[in-house]
Amino acid sequence: MNTGLLRALSLTVLLAFSGIAFSDNMIMGRVPMRGEIVLEYVISSIEEHGYTVAHIQLCDGGMKEFGYKSDLYRVVFFGKIAEVRAISERYPELVSYVPLKIAVIAEKDETLLSVLNPQALAPFFTDEEVRIQFARWSNDLESIFEDVRRSTAQHVATME
Amino acid sequence: MHALRLLFSGLSLATMVAGGVGHAAPDGGELYVEHCVACHQMEGQGGIGLPLLNDKLADVSDDYLRSTVRLGRPGRVMPSFMRMSDAQVDAIVKFLRDKSGTTAVEFSNERVAGNAAHGKTLYTEHCAKCHGADGSGEGEGTGVTQSRDRSFLVMPASISNPGFLASAPDQMMQRVIAAGRKPSGMPAFSRGKLDESEIRDVVAYVRSFEQQARVVEPLDEEERPTHVYESPYDFDTTVANVKASLGGANFRIFPDRLLEQGLVDEFSVNTRQIGVRFCNFNVLYGMLKTEPRLGIVLPCRITIMEREGGQVLLVIPNLRVVSRWFNNDELVGLWDQMEETFTEIIDEVTL
Repeated sequence: MNTGLLRALSLTVLLAFSGIAFSDNMIMGRVPMRGEIVLEYVISSIEEHGYTVAHIQLCDGGMKEFGYKSDLYRVVFFGKIAEVRAISERYPELVSYVPLKIAVIAEKDETLLSVLNPQALAPFFTDEEVRIQFARWSNDLESIFEDVRRSTAQHVATME
Repeated sequence: MHALRLLFSGLSLATMVAGGVGHAAPDGGELYVEHCVACHQMEGQGGIGLPLLNDKLADVSDDYLRSTVRLGRPGRVMPSFMRMSDAQVDAIVKFLRDKSGTTAVEFSNERVAGNAAHGKTLYTEHCAKCHGADGSGEGEGTGVTQSRDRSFLVMPASISNPGFLASAPDQMMQRVIAAGRKPSGMPAFSRGKLDESEIRDVVAYVRSFEQQARVVEPLDEEERPTHVYESPYDFDTTVANVKASLGGANFRIFPDRLLEQGLVDEFSVNTRQIGVRFCNFNVLYGMLKTEPRLGIVLPCRITIMEREGGQVLLVIPNLRVVSRWFNNDELVGLWDQMEETFTEIIDEVTL
């Protein structure tokens, strides 16, 4: 079997073993790859979507001494300055939900990505402008998760 | 995945054209890819989610599937899809049926008469090893991560879960106990292990888990996703008061972060919008064990912002609302308590 065909097969298998789930309030993705690598793809995809990564919080470090085990637990905070300013100006009650954040939780060679679906906030608002913003964020997050899923699958396929 | 979506969309389009339908019906395959594949996988082989293979689907009614999609499994990784339309839920169920070639089994909702006390003894002997003494599947946790006993093919079903108990009629449980479930490794108990009467007793015991279910208080209609308070003090005094109050309540305070920090250069950042971040590690440990995805709303943060004219606002997430987004009743209980603590802190700060 030639290398190209092998890669294509690997990619197909990997894509089948990863995925994204959209619930009413949460978007979740699962990638069969170690957390450190997935985190890099998450950051890269966030930036490709025009967002700036504000900071990355290490959740696992502080919890270790209390016995909470995870191979990697990071929360990536990101946003667009214009959107954050618009929210704080026009909708101050939403500042608790910006910047956006994605949790990257890894165990062994499996990584879960989890994010609050901004659409969960929509039922609390009637203003069309902010509802469009929630929908836009939600679309971007779906696209970011999809990118990560495809990129990581491609990454493994290329290595094989 | 795009290819699959295109394929499913293509099939829908073909169906519409063939049927001359002007209004697109929901595409079950596309919905399955969008909402279910991450955990149940494309061929339904399961992983984080339970397998949806033919053996299982042949055992359950369409009502069970519909109710499971709607209610999810509170406290577990399976979310609820309350906002999906009936047509969308039906389309997913139809997709599963068509894909598996199975037909729905119909069960009556009549309760099975059995001796729950005797059922408990039998349950402890035969079922607790996998489903846990309390029926929770594998002890605490949502199953959202892979931290399960790897000797199990899948994470054992949480049969004390309110979502399961509301979806599964007694007769279905009877059938599953008797026939087992090969893909999940569940044996057929009718084969020399339990007779019909004993199976009814076990079902009666499993049904009794309903009485232990946590009751989640519904949200008031007026609830908002955050609480916004106006401080009677200036910005700097308010920030200092918040920190003093949090320290007094035994919270660890992290370094401040400006709302815009990291998004813009240090010269352009608004320094009058600050997030005071805090945490109680003991409480957080318990919460993360209950809900590992909690990181997406952590750490706790009170945002203090100075508005035009010097008005100072304190904004804090409404934990009663946020906790309900996780569909985890246990978390709701913990956060409802935390919400009271936050209210006390804000009261102290704004006095």
